[in-house]
Amino acid sequence: MAVATIPHSPFAHDDPEVDLLYSETRELRVQGFLLFMVSDLVLFSSFIFAYLYLRSSGQGWPPPGGPKLDLALASINSVILFGSGATMHFALENWKHSKFMKFAGWMVATIVLGSLFLSGQVIEYAKLAVGWGDSGIFGAGFYTLTGMHGFHVFCGVIYLTVLLLQATHGTYTFKKYTGLTLGTLYWHFVDVIWVVLFSIFYLL
Amino acid sequence: MATEALHGGGGIADHIHPEPQGFIRKYVFSIDHKIIGIQYMITAGIFLILGGMLAELIRVQLMKANGGFMTPDTYNEVYSIHGSTMVWLVIIPMLTGGFGNFVFPLQIGARDVAFPWLNMLSFWIFPVAGLMVYASFLMGAPSAGWTEYPPMSLQGQAGTSMWAAAIFLVGVSSTLTGINFLVTILKMRAPGMTFTRMPLFVWGQFATAPLLMIATTALGAALAALFMQREFGVAFFDPTKGGSPLLWQHLFWFYSHPAVYIMILPAFGILSEVIPTFARKPIFGYKMIAFSSCAIAILGFMVWAHHMFTSGMAPALQLPFMVLTMTIAVPTGVKIFSWMTTLFGGVLRFTTAMLFSVGFVALFTLGGITGVWLAAVPFDLHAHGTYFIVAHFHYVLVGGSLMGIFAGLFFWFPKMTGRYLNETWGKVSFWLFFIGMNGTFLPMHVNGLGGQPRRTATYDPQFQGLNQIESIASFIMTAAILIIIINIIVSIRNGKRSGHNPWNARTLEWQIASPPPYYNFKHIPTVFHAPYDFSEPLPYRGLEHELEGTVYENESLQPAGVH
Amino acid sequence: MSEAAQHTIAHVERILAVIFGLVVLGVALVALKNDWHSKGIENQVFKMMLGLLALGAFLAILAAFNVLAGHGVEV
Repeated sequence: MAVATIPHSPFAHDDPEVDLLYSETRELRVQGFLLFMVSDLVLFSSFIFAYLYLRSSGQGWPPPGGPKLDLALASINSVILFGSGATMHFALENWKHSKFMKFAGWMVATIVLGSLFLSGQVIEYAKLAVGWGDSGIFGAGFYTLTGMHGFHVFCGVIYLTVLLLQATHGTYTFKKYTGLTLGTLYWHFVDVIWVVLFSIFYLL
Repeated sequence: MATEALHGGGGIADHIHPEPQGFIRKYVFSIDHKIIGIQYMITAGIFLILGGMLAELIRVQLMKANGGFMTPDTYNEVYSIHGSTMVWLVIIPMLTGGFGNFVFPLQIGARDVAFPWLNMLSFWIFPVAGLMVYASFLMGAPSAGWTEYPPMSLQGQAGTSMWAAAIFLVGVSSTLTGINFLVTILKMRAPGMTFTRMPLFVWGQFATAPLLMIATTALGAALAALFMQREFGVAFFDPTKGGSPLLWQHLFWFYSHPAVYIMILPAFGILSEVIPTFARKPIFGYKMIAFSSCAIAILGFMVWAHHMFTSGMAPALQLPFMVLTMTIAVPTGVKIFSWMTTLFGGVLRFTTAMLFSVGFVALFTLGGITGVWLAAVPFDLHAHGTYFIVAHFHYVLVGGSLMGIFAGLFFWFPKMTGRYLNETWGKVSFWLFFIGMNGTFLPMHVNGLGGQPRRTATYDPQFQGLNQIESIASFIMTAAILIIIINIIVSIRNGKRSGHNPWNARTLEWQIASPPPYYNFKHIPTVFHAPYDFSEPLPYRGLEHELEGTVYENESLQPAGVH
Repeated sequence: MSEAAQHTIAHVERILAVIFGLVVLGVALVALKNDWHSKGIENQVFKMMLGLLALGAFLAILAAFNVLAGHGVEV
């Protein structure tokens, strides 16, 4: 992989041959990652379609006996996740401007906010107190989609932690940081999906 | 990624890295697209044999109106696994993973696909998933057909969940392949190879890759939902819990209708290479063939509900789906006419590959015409769920995709191995296959219109005569496939040497040694024109040294023995 | 937990959501403005996502005020 050939310090002197290989593989990696995001988006869209289809199947929403969602908790939780998108943006911007410590600080903030969001989800699930399989279409819609999204956030937290560790170990230089760009793309993607999920579950 | 040099004039792109040594790195966990392509073909070929055996079990059962060869329950499992195998484990991997991997990077002048490790991962998911499909027999295989409609699939045996997981994995593999191919085609074409200079097989793969990437993910969602419903009771499809069985049909067909184009567009691409090569004529309507592939791919997403006319649909929705479905016949017809016009007035050489291609055109057209009939709502209401449907899709999948695969096999086998397949036995296998295929599936039209329902282990005695003809013809088809398999096994070691360009074809893969070296091109060529002008010199620069030092240097490169 | 306590918690949550929501909204819009002229495919995607992020923050603020509350929520 390209990363293995890059010297082990973000300040390292750049080798022109590595530069050429890097610029060529960079476009491939970014495009491939964007296409992966498209297919992931289709996965979410399919389940969103399923939820809207079931919701409009005449049982009413919430389905009879289904629990009510806590809007106040969801608002603060959403803001936490959106805030983590902003901190991730700052992290990447600082890396672009060669400020390692600030980058690391914003990365830690992002990871903490992501974990806070996950905790908020757990609290919400606990308050709902109905099971996935025994709550009819409520479980099929709400738990499946938010659970899938929560899994993405969970993976994202681990992903960002790995990126932070890699950055500390000098995997990326201040000129070559495709991996960090991809991580930022992923995290923004997770955020944006939550905009959609928040709208269809809490505002619709 | 430092080990794969990319395209580009000079610099690091021209660095050639040493081939990995050792059997495991070279042939098992290889990251070379050519080896992976062949791995896909061999694995899919094994599944073709397994799926074919299941097909013959079905035909044996249907020899007699009252069956008696297996129990109806076993019969249900057999045809379900037969369908799943042929769609997901044979045709799709063969055409995309197999021919796609082997041929198209060579045709665009690349040294490998964009993500070789991902490519290896895609491949290794596939045999595992295939084994899981067959392992489901141990737990009680799925028995609601390859479509696994709820609520029947909810009542199915434990193996149904296993099946869902396995097909989900196949879907992951397809999605990764689609991403990989799309990036490769977008970013790694040789200098000068603009989109309108790409060979048509590459266009076929280019139209297929987004389908693999998008549609397959929707199938993944459907399968995941089925799995959750079955294992955790989540109310997606079970009406007693508030779910909707129709939801499955929407999600499933949103994938599975584009899937039929995944199974046919690369085969169209194979034909568009074989036919001009053996007609020695520029392909007629290059741009129309290329763009019609894309049109089919886009329209394919808008017609899924034509599978659901009998499932309960508002008549106001039936009409647009019917019209859109019929619209697909237009780009398909453009292709058929382009091939026929290419053949017209050409200097035809009827090699086995050409025979399979011409057979494809004839049989696929028949299947396509019945497809337009079935798109019409009134006719579909009559024919739905009968053997007419079975006849229709076997004409496009066996007469189309599978014959396309055989055409591609006979065409590119010399490139893969440096040796011909035996042409005489090839022609024998073609005629046996052609006769057997028609004998098997033509009478099904009659039986279907007469009312013989599909997926039943017994049937009304009035259909028995034609069913016996079908079964006997299917044995002929099996014999043809056996001959092809023996042909392959014998020819790999003992086939006649072919040289680097036995068919005098003009695309890039034929300008380098057979089999191609690990790095494909010593120097990445520059492309000046589309490859089909047979009267012009080759439109490439920079290929002068490709054949130096190959074993065929002093052999005759004439297309011997193919007239 | 008593009902009164729950109400207090909900109030605190709403107030925090509005404050942080406004911050995120402002930050996203400023970042969008600063990035407006950046090039490259990933930056186009970033801009789109920053815009959607701002939209999300805006929706969350409205939700905290109980404007736009949907059918399935406890107001």
